Amino acid sequence: MEIDSDVPMQDATEETLDPTLDEDALSKAQEGPGSSGIADHKASKPLQLDSGNIGQLDQWIEHLGKCQVLSEDDVSRLCKMAVDVLQFEENVQPVNVPVTICGDVHGQFHDLIELFKIGGPCPDTNYLFMGDYVDRGYYSVETVSYLVAMKVRYPKRITILRGNHESRQITQVYGFYDECLRKYGSANVWKMFTDLFDYFPITALVDNKVFCLHGGLSPMIETIDQVRELNRIQEVPHEGPMCDLLWSDPDDRGGWGISPRGAGFTFGQDISEQFNHTNDLSLIARAHQLVMEGYAWSHQQSVVTIFSAPNYCYRCGNQAAIMEMDENHNRQFLQYDPSMRPGEPTVSRKTPDYFL
Amino acid sequence: MSDDLRRALLEKLGKADAQLGAASQPAPAAPAPAGLPTWHDFFQQNARVQIGDRGLDFNTYFSLPAASELADPSNTTSVPIFIFHHGAGSSGLSFAPLAKALHEQLDGRCGSFAFDARGHGLTAPVDAAAHPADYSLDAFVRDFRELIAWFHHTHLQALPASPTFTLVITGHSLGGSICTNVFPSLDPALRTKVAGLAMLDIVEEAAILALSKVDSFLSNTPNVFPSYANAIDWHVKRGLSRLRSSAEIVVPSLFVPTSSGKVVRRTNLQIFKPFWDTWFQSLSRRFVALPTSKLLILAGNDNLDRELMIGQMQGKFQLVVFQESGHFIEEDAPVKTAITLVDFWRRNDTKSVVIKTNWTKKANT
Repeated sequence: MEIDSDVPMQDATEETLDPTLDEDALSKAQEGPGSSGIADHKASKPLQLDSGNIGQLDQWIEHLGKCQVLSEDDVSRLCKMAVDVLQFEENVQPVNVPVTICGDVHGQFHDLIELFKIGGPCPDTNYLFMGDYVDRGYYSVETVSYLVAMKVRYPKRITILRGNHESRQITQVYGFYDECLRKYGSANVWKMFTDLFDYFPITALVDNKVFCLHGGLSPMIETIDQVRELNRIQEVPHEGPMCDLLWSDPDDRGGWGISPRGAGFTFGQDISEQFNHTNDLSLIARAHQLVMEGYAWSHQQSVVTIFSAPNYCYRCGNQAAIMEMDENHNRQFLQYDPSMRPGEPTVSRKTPDYFL
Repeated sequence: MSDDLRRALLEKLGKADAQLGAASQPAPAAPAPAGLPTWHDFFQQNARVQIGDRGLDFNTYFSLPAASELADPSNTTSVPIFIFHHGAGSSGLSFAPLAKALHEQLDGRCGSFAFDARGHGLTAPVDAAAHPADYSLDAFVRDFRELIAWFHHTHLQALPASPTFTLVITGHSLGGSICTNVFPSLDPALRTKVAGLAMLDIVEEAAILALSKVDSFLSNTPNVFPSYANAIDWHVKRGLSRLRSSAEIVVPSLFVPTSSGKVVRRTNLQIFKPFWDTWFQSLSRRFVALPTSKLLILAGNDNLDRELMIGQMQGKFQLVVFQESGHFIEEDAPVKTAITLVDFWRRNDTKSVVIKTNWTKKANT
């Protein structure tokens, strides 16, 4: 049995109770016959764009922009190119202002297109996405393909961080794996993308002042330099600093707390203020939590949450938002509602066939 | 099937048995079907208890922490006590395989408590005539509250005092709704001992949808089988129970034998119908708002409704999905469920959890 959890919990099966099982399962996923091979021939320096691959990328972007998936071979080519861009990025990827900072997208492709309409087209506008491109929405493949293609085409203009859903384990439960099977007839594309996710940077630092990441702080990470020391090229671990950065949430209670999610921690205003002080930051920007207005301040504006999937999962009724930061670090939030689109999949959930 | 119909059927079977020369009295309450496991393979004790004015004689099963484990002075963590409530049409023994798996996981350093709810299993009215059947959510909740208090008072308080215990309240399906609703009604002193609350495969929206299909479900569900073995086979074949070893302890508890060896389903699900609308009302909102740690384990896929989806995406509870399990998670995946519950308890047992940090400076609290 596979473990299917929204948290990187301890794995378990009916057959064995070996406590190291989860690690075994992980290493299998990474090194076993499941490997997609996209990282087998990594380049020693960043991908150079030339007229040939620019033409190819532009063609893919145009195709994906119409919400059409690439062929499996093209996904493989794209992911190989992306490895040679992302492997040279840092755990704390430096980003310049102006930039527009975005939160969870979750496969809501049409809302992503709406986001680019509202924020301005890339590469004219610089973008920083804080993870969770896949799962739950119906167009995870198109969404992640599009963002990765944009990343490879405009590497200095768009930054894509890793979210807790950019993981082999989580995507097997929350839709991306099934969507790949449905759209490609095999798990190959899922393997390529999940192998690629290991290379995504996990945090970004905007003009040395705004620390951006998917989840939040870790009791094992007091300074940004400690993030730089992590080995991020791996599946999101079940616990530890890298897990925390992708899973933690700010909380009204002070200090560190047990996260109700089952992974990461909660951190209070005292922690946020000290982290910002220690690292000479003005703000922590993060995503990960649904907020009904699309953005929400916490900890007396030490922390902002940004969520960019309107009417999340086609049922939550929330607004989405993005945050623009100009050259002078002025911040402006742009809120938006779900895009109107023809053929919106009706949300049908199967009725369980059981008594209660 | 109505109660009258059921009685008539039992009578008819009895007569048929009599004609075949067998005794016409129904067999005693809980004979161990030959070759099958009994409650004793899963719990230490089986006790009947009448509480206050409930007018019911409850059939309970429980195990207490091993004395040798409690005596170990080096282990200062709390001792988890898992309190279970089954769903409609099931029985306390639905948790038998899970209880056993928990005791194995924790080397006996835990307790477990399960019982047959009103209208189920071997729990019966003290005086059927005096107590009209009430199967409202509130009735189930009050029974549960009283039984938790009784178990606490009679058995947990008698434990050696040194290690404290914590409760993990776990319910399957309707039992999940009962757990969510019992928590606020617990005695405050007892409530502080709750480390967390777990619901197994219940989502308000899906449950209310499913209620509309109960009639067709019931019409496809036989109430009489030629034998226990036959009933077990049917439940396994239909996928209602995916682990045969679980079906062997659970399915017999759902049936009453006649002297001929035929078995008849104990619980008449139709009698609950007037109370369905009370069972799941506002469950998702109440669950998300509970002021304790919460775990939701779902079978198959994450079929969350709006309230649960928002709650989950705001990090209000832990969600785990067992894709390969059927609805009866505690029966289909007892070991996996046990590991998940132990992990949930450990994480939320505030007495033993110390959050390690390497921060050198103390935050200005």
